Amino acid sequence: MKKYFVLCIGFMMAMLFVVAGNSHADGTPFIHVSIQAPTGALKMGDRPVFKGVVKNSGQHNLQGLVVYLSLVALKPGDEHPVDLEDWSAQKAVRIDQLVAGETNRQDWPMRLIQAGRFGVALTVVDSLENRPIVSDLIPFDIQTKPTVASSRILPVAIGEPLLLLVFFRLFHWIHTRSRRLMKGVLI
Amino acid sequence: MRHFKTLVGKECIEEIISSRGAALYIVGCGVLSVFSLLLVSNTELSLLDNAQAVYMMSAIIIALALLIAVIRGSDGFAGERERETLETLLITPVSPNEVAIAKLMALIFSWLVLFLLSIPYLWAVGSTGQNLIPALEYLFISGTLLVVIFGGFTLALSARMKTLKGTLSIGLAAFLLSGSPILLGPSLRQSTVGRFGDLINPFANALNMLDSVVVDSLGVLFQIIPLAILVSYAIAAIWVLSMATKRVEL
Repeated sequence: MKKYFVLCIGFMMAMLFVVAGNSHADGTPFIHVSIQAPTGALKMGDRPVFKGVVKNSGQHNLQGLVVYLSLVALKPGDEHPVDLEDWSAQKAVRIDQLVAGETNRQDWPMRLIQAGRFGVALTVVDSLENRPIVSDLIPFDIQTKPTVASSRILPVAIGEPLLLLVFFRLFHWIHTRSRRLMKGVLI
Repeated sequence: MRHFKTLVGKECIEEIISSRGAALYIVGCGVLSVFSLLLVSNTELSLLDNAQAVYMMSAIIIALALLIAVIRGSDGFAGERERETLETLLITPVSPNEVAIAKLMALIFSWLVLFLLSIPYLWAVGSTGQNLIPALEYLFISGTLLVVIFGGFTLALSARMKTLKGTLSIGLAAFLLSGSPILLGPSLRQSTVGRFGDLINPFANALNMLDSVVVDSLGVLFQIIPLAILVSYAIAAIWVLSMATKRVEL
């Protein structure tokens, strides 16, 4: 009887464990994710590396975790998600296995394309869980940088070929006219 | 000497008043305009450092100068032969060597016009002024030497070959071959074969020199080897041209 009782208790505990999944009884997830912005001032064109950390603080191993980066523009009145197309070559990583207590660190290199205030966050998706785990949003500022100046380029790029065209047309006209005049004098 | 000067003047003026010459300059300006507009309209390109933008623009200017030198150089003797004006030219009191030198000087004049036309573009893209003056100096030096090299060899070829088409085909093939540093990109040139190719390629030497001056801000001491290679090629081109035009056949 005692043997059956122990087995029942064991079975119930196993069921509880499965139902609880990757979270503690109070709902705190076993997976902890965070991202850190580089120190120092950032400006357009820089290529800083953001450091991501995913920790399995649970009791059992996790497999097939997907970690991805999210970037949002935080300019008041113009908040919007940013397409990482130009910003980052590495948009997501897969962690094959994260054993209990293990910490996985990733580098998230980014190229800063625009100036302004932005926020970055990491999201971890566990295939056995129906709720992704998101890190804190880390805000950072990107300063403007003197880049190729359109105010100087446009007048030159449009004006010079037109001026050249006018010059050659005028030159050709004067040349032809003087030749005609010469012919007229000779005749 | 007076006849030689007259011939040089005639060849130089023809570079400007002929419709072909004008068309080449307008097309050249069009190419530089398109690249400049790309620099401001493309997000990735607009983030380039000014020095990097100046370097890229200089590389395009050099490529244009070489293209013009190859096209005009091919026309030098072969074109005159096809238009049946070579005989008239050869009965003037100037030697074939002097004709060749006059034509080479016209090519250099053509490069000078292109260089002057390209200064506003370089000023526009190098807005902070970082290394802009050294870029102009080295662009002028390397461009002149490259025009002498490519123009000289193409004129020599033009004096020896019967048809303009054949000369132009070989000239353009040589231009493309030497332009491979631009097409291949720096990563493919890091191997031993790539480095050797860069060392013997005058076009690559000019680009590397501009890169080290404009982007890396290196001094004149670092430019001695590429400059020496370019000068050697230029001397060889002039020698080949003088040999090829000792006797020009109709």
